[in-house]
Amino acid sequence: MKKKYCMVIDSSVCIDCKACMVSCKVQHKVPRGFWRNWIKNSDPDFTLGKYTSMHFQPGGCMQCDNPTCVYACPSGATFKDDETGIIHVNEDLCIGCGNCVKACPYHARYRHPVKRVPDKCDFCRERLDMGLLPACVDTCPTKARNFGDRNDPDSDVSRLLREQETVRIVSRPVDTEPNMFYLSSTMPMDWPGPVEYPAAHQAMVGVVNPLVKVAVGLSGLGVAAMFLKQLFTSDEASHEEKKEEV
Amino acid sequence: MKDKLPPLSRRKFLKTSLAAAAVTAGAGTPLVKSLVPGAHASGSRPPKGDLTSHFTACDMCFNRCGMIARVRNGVIEKIDPNPKFLKSRGMICARGNAATNHIYDPDRLKYPLRRTGKRGEGKWERISWEEALDYTAEKMLEIGEKYTRCGMMFIPGSDMQSQLVHRFAEVYGSFNITSHETLCLLSKNRAYLDTIGEVPYPDVFYSKYILIAGANPFEAIITPDTMDFFEARKNGCKIIVLDPRFTKTAAMADEWYQIKPGTDMAFFLALCHVIVKEELYDRDGCCPKMTYGFDEFFLHIQQYTPEWAQEECGIPSEDIIRIAREISAAAPSAMVYPGRRTSDYKDSTQIRRAMAITNALLNNFDKPGGLLALREVGVKTPYYDVPWYDDNPFDRVEAGLVPGLIDHEGSFQLMREAIISGEPYPIKGWFNFKTNFMQTAANRNKTLEMIDHLDFIVNIDIAMTDTAWYSDVVLPGASFLERKDPVSALQGSSACACAVLRDPVVPEMFESRSPFWICQELSKRMGFGDSFDFTMDEYRQKQLDGLDGALEAMLNDGVYYNPSQVYGIYSGSPLKTLSGVKEIFNQRYARSGVDPMPVYRKRRMPGENEFRLVVGRTAFFTHSNTNLELLTEFMEENVLNMHPEPAQNMGLKDGDLVEVKSQVGSGRLRLELTQGIEKQTVYMATGFGALSPQMSLVHNRGASIAEVLEDYHDEISGNMAMHETLVTVRKVA
Repeated sequence: MKKKYCMVIDSSVCIDCKACMVSCKVQHKVPRGFWRNWIKNSDPDFTLGKYTSMHFQPGGCMQCDNPTCVYACPSGATFKDDETGIIHVNEDLCIGCGNCVKACPYHARYRHPVKRVPDKCDFCRERLDMGLLPACVDTCPTKARNFGDRNDPDSDVSRLLREQETVRIVSRPVDTEPNMFYLSSTMPMDWPGPVEYPAAHQAMVGVVNPLVKVAVGLSGLGVAAMFLKQLFTSDEASHEEKKEEV
Repeated sequence: MKDKLPPLSRRKFLKTSLAAAAVTAGAGTPLVKSLVPGAHASGSRPPKGDLTSHFTACDMCFNRCGMIARVRNGVIEKIDPNPKFLKSRGMICARGNAATNHIYDPDRLKYPLRRTGKRGEGKWERISWEEALDYTAEKMLEIGEKYTRCGMMFIPGSDMQSQLVHRFAEVYGSFNITSHETLCLLSKNRAYLDTIGEVPYPDVFYSKYILIAGANPFEAIITPDTMDFFEARKNGCKIIVLDPRFTKTAAMADEWYQIKPGTDMAFFLALCHVIVKEELYDRDGCCPKMTYGFDEFFLHIQQYTPEWAQEECGIPSEDIIRIAREISAAAPSAMVYPGRRTSDYKDSTQIRRAMAITNALLNNFDKPGGLLALREVGVKTPYYDVPWYDDNPFDRVEAGLVPGLIDHEGSFQLMREAIISGEPYPIKGWFNFKTNFMQTAANRNKTLEMIDHLDFIVNIDIAMTDTAWYSDVVLPGASFLERKDPVSALQGSSACACAVLRDPVVPEMFESRSPFWICQELSKRMGFGDSFDFTMDEYRQKQLDGLDGALEAMLNDGVYYNPSQVYGIYSGSPLKTLSGVKEIFNQRYARSGVDPMPVYRKRRMPGENEFRLVVGRTAFFTHSNTNLELLTEFMEENVLNMHPEPAQNMGLKDGDLVEVKSQVGSGRLRLELTQGIEKQTVYMATGFGALSPQMSLVHNRGASIAEVLEDYHDEISGNMAMHETLVTVRKVA
């Protein structure tokens, strides 16, 4: 059966300890200055006196059902896996245009400074294959992060979604239908930015019919393939050299 | 290699060290390179080589959480939590996750070094282990001969091999042994020992009402308490926090009171006042048969009204009254959280006594949701002969200076004074393992002065800490992931009394060696090799004598649980106090001229343009273990927190570079304004402003608490008192 992986987050127990961020960073060798996940916080209102509190909100790629990044990708490198619901980047198809980075209202993607391709949370695909939980979920001290298959009615996430009220965070112009759910309430809510589609893409969506879209997409693929071919024809040693200069 | 160590860029160094690691492990594949942050050549190709998993226990702080290390091609790629490890509730915090960074730290010590220039000058020569051990043994024997064996001070750390270093110290013949606890929780230990006869464990999981003062468990993570607060809260537990700072614990609490620093005792005495006056205490638990001195306490407490406390601590009297009623109603599944680092004031033991007495009134000891008694784990300490040296002095060097010195812990601060004065007898050597008092003990200048009085300092560590930087011989220690360690017994809340051990996950890197090996080799050279003539397996066997299946459990699951009794351990039997019951009035204190019940005294308060400096930490650093690339990303240097109101009066702005100055030292760091701090208080985090250039990420970055803090001590336990310091703050032009 197809899976629909999702995360259900109880942000009321997040203590902003950063364990998920470090765990992710080690698992995916994320370079300094970049992150695949995060913890945001609300601003404390000290006028509340003894009731002053803070809310910490863990996050990462929202694995949207209405994925603006997938729509913005001209080469098909960014795609939603039909079997798992996870949005992946096929690095071999990526032409490095950066459209997907701009199109994500959650700033969940960054351009890897060495690989020159977008990198983002993929729910730790390799770990799932090994039967392990995503690194951030596994390590979370207060178990604020819950992970599982929404299509499995017996999973923890299904139970949580059934039994408790949840909220989702969407950007103002687009309901991205994220698969990141927050139990009953979370803060802050207003951080997703606008979705920036490339201008050509917008014109295409508005005017051109889907058939043309497929054609343009295919030609894009061709361009990507040429680019890749160029990349891999050079021998391994000079390839390494090139990387060192970066 | 003479003189200064050649500068190595972090990246270059890391490559070398990782290549070395791979070679040691017998597998040098390009994958090793992929651990270099920002420089790896990975595509979407899956990594080559099998991933193997190894149980171990964390050593990034002192909690010993269960870990599984994932190793590929001889390199630790990832640390995951051990789901069977109940004490840590199947989690690993940010520090534990950074253990890969700890072992592959480019700043790691690689081989033994001997100082060639002046102390702290940074001139070293590389020597062989043979030379290092011969030299160290020679120096230690020399000191033993000239100044008796007690002329060596030993600080054995708080690691799983520390018990062996402790043994080494005793066999060598010195009882001048102290540990990191002397900067941490001795005053709390003292207070509970003197009230209920032992140091209890909080049963947070089943508690219904928890009052936290002088602790910050959501940032100074302690397992399983930190996780259990939330489980308790799901079951309706209320959490009240008193803290001059809006810590993350305060941020997550039901109520937070911005108490004036150093006035906790006033609050707790007033709380007791209400509990006693309104007869909210447990009558059975506080009857003369169950407590000692309740009647005296009844009279003593009359003066400490909630109205009086409001003036002192700034918490409204109606809140004190309400909290007293609420916590009593929830008793005995309610508690004043005992806390961890309690080395704050000159009367810390009495402050913690006030808390312990409140707990006694709640009658929560040895009960679900209260404070738990020590449980049987069953791990033994193998016997060894402690030799007798006729010329040794009668007692520890700081014996008798405070009435409540804990025998095997001592007081670093008082020892330091004794070394400087040479009285009552000289100490001329220092054997240090994995502690960094130059960065963690108050008044660094005095520690430097102490060092001037020492003939010989030997230091085992994995990095060139500030303390190592001022040593004579630096021995590269193996990290906890490279060692075979003895069994360690642990207790958490009601969930666990357990035992753990460590086997090497990867081989020792470079020329690093375990402290066990070092102690063995030194013992041979000093003529008491017999005392260390055993293997780790033999030692473990003795530790686990009578615990059938324990070793198998630890090898199979990474942990062994002992299903011993949890609650009611003392039902029907006397407590380990002088009177056999809870001592609200402490008889021994009365005899030695100490207040038998806590008496509130006003402390030195900041004057105009002065502030009280408080220190603390974050959830991602342990003390001075800050030189980790993965973690400094969250905090590259420490800042000084100040309330905007005094800042405005002094013309200071957010981000200004300021000098914070006490009577003993000063530091420069950036100002960060926050309303989350009491107006006469400033705060800075520990672990920055390192002197050692080989702590490359924190060297000269931010300010060192050790430099600025004035050295006071708790007058009962001799514990360091770190919140007595008053400072001035000025903008650096």
